[in-house]
Amino acid sequence: MTTLGGITRRGRGPLSGEGRWALLFLAPTLIGLAVLSAGPILATLAISLTDWDLLTPPKLAGLDNYLSLLSDDRFLKAVRNTFFYTIVSVPLGLALALGVAMALNVKVRGIAFIRTAYFLPVVTSSIAVALVWQWIYNPDSGLLNQVLGVIGLPPQKWVNDPTLAMPAIIAMSIWQGLGVNVIIFLAGLQAIPSELLDAANVDGGGRWARFRWVILPLLTPAIFFTGVLSLIDGFQVFDQVFVLVKPRPTDATITIVYFIYENGFKFFKMGLASAASWVLFLIIALFTAIYFWSQDRWVHYQ
Amino acid sequence: MAMDPSTRTRPADSRWRAALAVVLVTLLAAACGGTTTSPTSPAAPPAASAAAPSGGGSAAPSDAGYTGPEATISYSIWGDPQEIANQRAIVDAFHAANPKITVNVDVSDWEPYWDKLQTSLAGGAAPDVFAMDGPLFPDYQTRDVLLDLKPFIDRDGYDLTQLADQAVADFTTPDGQFGLPRDLNVVALYYNKAMFDAAGIPYPDETWDWAKLKDVAQQLTLKDANGKVTQWGFYTETTDMENYWSELVWQNGGDIVSADHKTSLVASDEAAGGIQFLQDLIWKDKVMPDASITDALGDAFEQGQAAMESNGSWLVATHEAAGLDFGIAPLPKGPAGQATSINPTGAVVYKGTKNPDAAWEFVKYLASPPAQEQIMALKASMPANKEVLSGSFATAYEGSDVLADAIEYARLKPSFKGYNDWTTTLQTEIDANVFTDANKTAKQSLTDVLPQLDQILAEQ
Repeated sequence: MTTLGGITRRGRGPLSGEGRWALLFLAPTLIGLAVLSAGPILATLAISLTDWDLLTPPKLAGLDNYLSLLSDDRFLKAVRNTFFYTIVSVPLGLALALGVAMALNVKVRGIAFIRTAYFLPVVTSSIAVALVWQWIYNPDSGLLNQVLGVIGLPPQKWVNDPTLAMPAIIAMSIWQGLGVNVIIFLAGLQAIPSELLDAANVDGGGRWARFRWVILPLLTPAIFFTGVLSLIDGFQVFDQVFVLVKPRPTDATITIVYFIYENGFKFFKMGLASAASWVLFLIIALFTAIYFWSQDRWVHYQ
Repeated sequence: MAMDPSTRTRPADSRWRAALAVVLVTLLAAACGGTTTSPTSPAAPPAASAAAPSGGGSAAPSDAGYTGPEATISYSIWGDPQEIANQRAIVDAFHAANPKITVNVDVSDWEPYWDKLQTSLAGGAAPDVFAMDGPLFPDYQTRDVLLDLKPFIDRDGYDLTQLADQAVADFTTPDGQFGLPRDLNVVALYYNKAMFDAAGIPYPDETWDWAKLKDVAQQLTLKDANGKVTQWGFYTETTDMENYWSELVWQNGGDIVSADHKTSLVASDEAAGGIQFLQDLIWKDKVMPDASITDALGDAFEQGQAAMESNGSWLVATHEAAGLDFGIAPLPKGPAGQATSINPTGAVVYKGTKNPDAAWEFVKYLASPPAQEQIMALKASMPANKEVLSGSFATAYEGSDVLADAIEYARLKPSFKGYNDWTTTLQTEIDANVFTDANKTAKQSLTDVLPQLDQILAEQ
């Protein structure tokens, strides 16, 4: 697996020829976006400026929807919850994935099986995952509380406890999404030329020095890539919340996308839901832009 | 986005059908040109002619059955696999009686049902006939997507008094009759006979009141040597008013919203007192598991871990399937007397249907004794037809007479525009602060949330 390193090595060359090839490979996605997504995306912008219940003609509302979002306690709670989820789950998920990838980057018997095991949650349906975690978090007879009982700690309510609910969902999400990042990090690790590691060895670098000064810098493109995907995914968190808690019994786990779903399809407020979608879009765009801007400072392309 | 796999294909499937329907309708309209006006009422605008029963006013009230052209109508419901088979049996019997009308049944889970319904209504490709939950009816009726059945009722001389009065009233507005009840549910007290027998306590009956309920629930709450509860005296669901707390409000002389649907009444002393009784059962008397336990455990009564349960008549089959030996009693009376909740499911007709006559014929059939007997057989709801209610239903199973009698003193589950928004806001507050944790008294919590609730009503 040297493709990742290969692309980054050649990617900085003159655009002539390669640019056209890039466009060709991007075409399916670009055409799909233009034909299928652009219309609805622009439509939500128009809808966000109206008062629309889906069934009767929309009434022009100007910026009312945006203004009412600012004073909507549930929306502000959803924004806070979404930020908490993203800020905690992205760095933690990446760090864990990196650790697991390092541990799996060895040549021993059965390593392929172990790597597959880490990828299994990724290809398992969210429903199945949530059902298993429902049992793990069960406040009465759940696995986690049994473990707590064995070490003499009191049982917890987990997803039913307003304080623990979000951390519990983050734990499940990280577990479920780990495999994707592990695969990318593994590819990155295996693309590191062994000469560089040998050279570090010859210079007397220990394990930590090798990691800090050779492996980590060379992995930054992979970290950047997984980071941007995790960031966007994090802000759009919905299904874990929808399936595991819904976000009952309190609003402890309401997220922006859940707020959008509920207002659009339950409360007949498609205008408000569209406005919230655009706020979410702007948040994601802003953070992605900052993240891209920051890459000059820490991402090292070979 | 991960949804239930079994429902994943259906929305896409129906989208294609909806898209196809739109294309076909457009082509048809184009092909017919300006000749779409019905011959029976040439002066009427097309919308009115679609809504008016054919042959209306031409004869004295008579119900000769369906005489129109061959028609295929779609019928959408929410439900589980059992209900699919049940509704298909009804549709087949209807088709046998009306060979010219074919009905296609489409079933979804509760949540996707409403998502699909709204988008298909917005796209002008809604099912001809669909199931309607009582509390959500105003949100649809006020948006002018339901067909007024009054002209058909008058034409056929259809007698509405053959159906349970509250259930009919739920779909009546000053503008007309926008649906017929298909079935209904009331709330009553389930009790586990074995647990009562073991404690030597007589079964609950119509003499019970709140004090008696609390007293017996305390006697039937059992603990092991470590103080862990092994059997709860009582159980109910707190996440919806219907299961118990609206009944407690009424039994204490309170109400939920004003008759004009402009003012929320839940923060009155009487209403708060009813909800306080439920909070006390959980946190003061400790005879009922709190939501964090029941959310994970499910129905504690069904699991054989609670001696009594306040819940709806829709659970009879579920409790039987769980192998429980149970009885049904009226809810215990409150300080202001007896009350329970009744909530009908209606069959309504899409205003844009191409086959209003066939749709009406089917809606009428759903409320007729043969269809009602079929629905009743599932024990997942009660018939809405009085003849069946007082006839075969009253002796259908042990306690069915108690349920039928409960209709007498039942009050309609509140039904108003903005219901989902209002009830979600209210439940979020009281779930967090009254039931899941006793952070506030009921009075405090309801007073805190009242301005938000009235704001929602004011927006409608």
